[in-house]
Amino acid sequence: MKRSKLLLVLTAILVLALSACAAPVAPAGDAGSSDTGSEAAAGGGDATCDDAIGCIEIAPGDPLKVGGMLTISGATAYLGEDSRGGIEIAVNERGQIDGHDITVQIEDSLCSAEGGQTAAQKLAADPTVVGIIGTNCSSSGAAALPIVSSAGMLMISSSNTSPVLTSADTEAGGIWQPGYYRTAHNDLFQGRVAAEFVFNELGATTLATIHDGSPYAESLAAVAADVFTELGGEVTYQGAVNVGDTDMRPILTEVSSNPPDVLYFPFFEPESDFMAAQAKEITGLENTILMSADGSLVDSFPENAGEAAVGMYLSGPYLNPENTAYADFLAKWDEEIGGVPPSGFHAHAYDATNMLLDAVQAVAQESSDGTLLIGRQALRDALTATKDYPGLTGTLSCNETGDCATGEALGIYEVTQAEVDGNWPPPVVYTP
Amino acid sequence: MAASAKPARTGFLSKDYFERMTWVDWVLNALRVLILALVIIGATNTLLSGKYTLAQWVSLIMSGLAQGSIYALIALGYTLVYGILLMINFAHGEVYMAGAFTAYFIADWTAKSGLLASAPVIAVLIWVIVAALVSMGVAVLLERVAYRPLRGAPRLVPLITAIGASFFLQYTFRGLYGTGFKSYPAVPIIQGSVAIGGFNILIAQLVVFFSALVLMLALYWLIERTKMGKAMRAVSEDKEVSRLMGIDIDRVIVFTFLLGGALAGAAGVINGLYRPQGVNFFMGFFPGIKAFTAAVLGGIGSVPGAMLGGIFLGIIESVGPSLILDGLGINSANQLKDVIAFTMLVFVLIFRPQGILGERLKEKKA
Amino acid sequence: MALLEVDNIHAYYGKIHALKGVSLTVEKGEVVSLIGGNGAGKTTTLRCISGLIKPTDGSVTFDDDVVADYAAHELVPMGIAMVPEGRGIFSKLTVQENMEMGAFYRNDKEGIKQDMEHGYHIFPRLAERRTQIAGTMSGGEQQMLAMARALMSKPRLLLLDEPSMGLAPVLVELIFDTIRDINQQGVTVLLVEQNAHMALQIANRGYVLQTGEIILSDNAASLRKDPMVQKAYLGID
Repeated sequence: MKRSKLLLVLTAILVLALSACAAPVAPAGDAGSSDTGSEAAAGGGDATCDDAIGCIEIAPGDPLKVGGMLTISGATAYLGEDSRGGIEIAVNERGQIDGHDITVQIEDSLCSAEGGQTAAQKLAADPTVVGIIGTNCSSSGAAALPIVSSAGMLMISSSNTSPVLTSADTEAGGIWQPGYYRTAHNDLFQGRVAAEFVFNELGATTLATIHDGSPYAESLAAVAADVFTELGGEVTYQGAVNVGDTDMRPILTEVSSNPPDVLYFPFFEPESDFMAAQAKEITGLENTILMSADGSLVDSFPENAGEAAVGMYLSGPYLNPENTAYADFLAKWDEEIGGVPPSGFHAHAYDATNMLLDAVQAVAQESSDGTLLIGRQALRDALTATKDYPGLTGTLSCNETGDCATGEALGIYEVTQAEVDGNWPPPVVYTP
Repeated sequence: MAASAKPARTGFLSKDYFERMTWVDWVLNALRVLILALVIIGATNTLLSGKYTLAQWVSLIMSGLAQGSIYALIALGYTLVYGILLMINFAHGEVYMAGAFTAYFIADWTAKSGLLASAPVIAVLIWVIVAALVSMGVAVLLERVAYRPLRGAPRLVPLITAIGASFFLQYTFRGLYGTGFKSYPAVPIIQGSVAIGGFNILIAQLVVFFSALVLMLALYWLIERTKMGKAMRAVSEDKEVSRLMGIDIDRVIVFTFLLGGALAGAAGVINGLYRPQGVNFFMGFFPGIKAFTAAVLGGIGSVPGAMLGGIFLGIIESVGPSLILDGLGINSANQLKDVIAFTMLVFVLIFRPQGILGERLKEKKA
Repeated sequence: MALLEVDNIHAYYGKIHALKGVSLTVEKGEVVSLIGGNGAGKTTTLRCISGLIKPTDGSVTFDDDVVADYAAHELVPMGIAMVPEGRGIFSKLTVQENMEMGAFYRNDKEGIKQDMEHGYHIFPRLAERRTQIAGTMSGGEQQMLAMARALMSKPRLLLLDEPSMGLAPVLVELIFDTIRDINQQGVTVLLVEQNAHMALQIANRGYVLQTGEIILSDNAASLRKDPMVQKAYLGID
C-alpha cells in the first residue's frame, strides 16, 4: 500500500519537474510588442517612436549598451575571451554614436543551454541594450534565442554554426526566430565544402567522422558525411567522443578496424589536439589524412598537436592574406588586449559588432533634447538588409533567417611545418 | 521504507534467504543480473564478430593501463586525505592542475634552452620536481586556509569549502597563465613504440605505467615502514590516542596533504609525457572526478584500493566501449565510455558497498 | 612541590558541568587512586591532566609547568603518559608498531630498542605477538599492550584510566601487580578506577570523586575503612 503511494508521489514529482524544465523554453509570444511601444512614444521629444515592436530609448548623456553573451568561464573560456576582444576593439574604434558613449556588458552564457538562458534573461531585462553579440556555442544560442526574440531584441552570434538556428523549417528541427543573426557560417556550407574538397580534390573514397557531442561538431560531421555519400564516397565510421576526453586511442583503434582515407573531426581544442597527436600512433591509420574545422583553426593548434598536425587540413573562414585589414586588427589586439587572439572567431565578433553599430547609427533618431530613439523592428530590418558588407571575415550578406556569412567566404587550409613552428595563418589550398 | 534498506547479510545458500528478501533486494539483484548479462552478451558478440584483432585489444588495454595509472596517482591523494580526515578534498583535481600547469613553463624553458635535447632525463626530473613542489604548496595552502579552520565543523561544511576552493584555484591559475591551451614539449627518447611479444607497445605508455608503479611502491613503503607512515595510520585510526602518544596530528595531516600533492604533481608531468596537449586551467576537473571515482571504486581510505581502482577504471573506460557496447550494437560507443565506467561503479558498489578493497566503516569513524 | 597539582579545576562536557572545582596532588613516587562511580568526572579529570581538554577554570601544574600552556602531544616528552579508557590501542597496527608509536617523540634508536625489550620483558605475552595485528588480540593482551606502549615514552607520571575494565579477575590481578612493579621502578601513577577494592590496595593515597567534586581524600588504608567508601564502592554493608 505504502509503496504504491510512494510510486504515485514520485511520478507526480517527475511530471512536475519535467514541465518545470520545459516551461522557460516556451517563448512568451508577443509580450514585447505593445507595452514597450507606448512607453517609448511617451518619452520622445520631436521624434516619436512608431516602431511595431517598440523603441530603445537612450536618455541624453547616457551611454548605449552592447550586450554580450559569451562563455567566460569553464573549459571554453578562450572562445569567450576571443569574442570579447573583437567586440571591444570594434566598440573602441567607434567611440561614440550621436554623442552617446558605448559600453559593453558581458554575461556568462557558458557553453550550455542553462548558461544561454540565464545570460539572455539578464540582458533582455535591460532596456538600454541595443543588441547582443553572442552566443559562442549553438547549445547556449538555442536556449537564448526565444528569450531574446520575444523581448524584441536581437542577437548576432560570432561562432554558432548549427544549421537549426537559422532554419525556420520547424518540421526539420529549425528553431529560428526573428532577431537572430550570425556572422559565423552555417555548418551546411562548411560541411559541404569540406566533403567536396575531400572527394574532389583529395580523391578520397572513404571517410570517417568523429564529433564531440556538441551541436556544432555533430552537425558539421553529419553534413560532411551526408554530402560525401551523396558525391559517391563511402563513410566507414561515424562516432563521437566527449568534451573533456583526453585519451582518443580507444576510438581511434575502433576507426582503425576499417581504416579510412580521411578522418574528419571538426571540434575544438584541446580534444582536437589529442585526436591529431594520437591518431598517428595508431597502427592502421598511418596513411589516413586528418582534417578538422574552424573550431581548431587557431594558431595554438599546430603548436599543441605538434608534428602530427603537418599535412592536416582545416576548413574555415577564408581570410584573404592580401587584405591588410586583418593585420591591422591583429596589431590593435596586441596593443589594446595584448598577445594574439586565443581562438578563431574574434574577427566574426568584430564584424558582428560593427554590423550592429552600423545598423544602430542608421536607425537611431535623435530628438531635440538629445534623447536617442532606436526602433527595434527597424534595427532588425536594417540588419536583415545587410548586403555586400566588407567584413574582416569576408563579404557578408544577410538572408531572411539571419545567415550573414555565405559559403563563398570559406577556404581549406593545409598545416605545414612552418605553422608548427609558429607561423599563422597556414596557406589556403582550396576555395569553392 | 527506510528499514528495508538494511542489507541482508545472509548468503545465497541459506534456506531462508528468499523469505528474507525485501523488494529492495529484488531490485538490486535484478540490477546485478541485468548488468552482468549485458556485459556477457556484449563481450561475447564483439569477440565472436572478430571486428578487432588481438593487437588492437592489446593496444586498448595498454591505453587503459596508462590512463589508469594516472587516475591511480591522483586517486591516492583523495584516499590519503580521506583516510586521515574523513573528508573529500574536492579541490584535489586543482592541486594536480597547479603542478602540471606550472611545470609546463619549466618544460617549455628546458626545450628552448636545449637541455631537454641534451639531457632528457635530467630535464624531465626537473619538471617532476617543480610540479611536485607547486602541487605540494597548493595542497598545504588548502589545508591551512580552507580545511583546518573547519576541522570541528559538520562534515558537509569542508565539502562545500572544497568546491569553492576548487573554483578559486581554477580562476587564480586562469588569471596567472591565461585561458589558452598549452602543450608540453615532446620528449624524443620516449617517442615511438617497441615490440613486446609481437605487439607494438608505445614507449610512452610503458614509461607512464612504470613510473606510476615506482611512485606507488615508494608510497607503500613510506606508509608501511617509516615512522611518519605509521603515524599516519595511527592518526587515521584514532586522533585522540595519537595525541596521547605525542604525535602532532597537525603535522601528520600536513604531511598527508604534502604526499597527496607530490603524487598529483608527478601525475601531472607523467600525464604530460604521455599526452602533452591540453594544458589549461581547467585540466584538473575531469581527471579529478575520475580519480575520485577510482578511489571510491577501490574503497576510499584504502591505499592499495586507490591504485587498483584507478587502473580498473582506466581499463574499463578504454576497453569497455569496444568490448561491451559494440557487441550490443550501440553506435558511437566511445562517447558512452563514462556511462560504462559509472555503470561498473554502480555494479561494484552493489556487490561491495565499501569498494573493492575498502572496509566497512565503523560507527566510531563515521 | 608535588609532581602534579590539580587546583580547583572546572570543566564542561557539552553543557554538563562535569568538574566543579576538583583539587588533588600527586607526589613523586606515589600511586594515587581516584575512585568514583560512573559519570563522577574521573575520566574528565584525567583528560584535563593529559592536555586533551583545557579546564575552563583552575589550573593543572606538572613539575612547575602549567599544563594548559601545552598541546597534548607536547606533554608526552615532558613526562606525562596516559593509557586511555578502553585501552586505545591502534587495532590495525602490529604490536611492534603500537610500541613504536609510544616512543614517537624519541629519536634514540638504541634506547627505544632497549625499552621495547624491557616492555616485552614485563609482558612476555606481547613478545610472542610482536608482528600480530593488535586488534586481533584478547582484551587482556590489549591492556598489556596499552600499558607497555605508554611506558615507551619514558613517563614520569603514568595516568591509567580503568585498566581493569572488562578483564577476567586473574588478569586484573596481573595488571595491578604490574602497576605496582612499574611504580617501584620509579614511575608515579595516578590511577582511575571503579574497582575501588584493587585500586586502594596498591595505592598510597586515594580521592573519592562524586558528581564532579572530591568528597573525600585520605591515605588508602583509612579510605578502605571509611564506612561511606565501604558502602558505596567496596560493596560492604
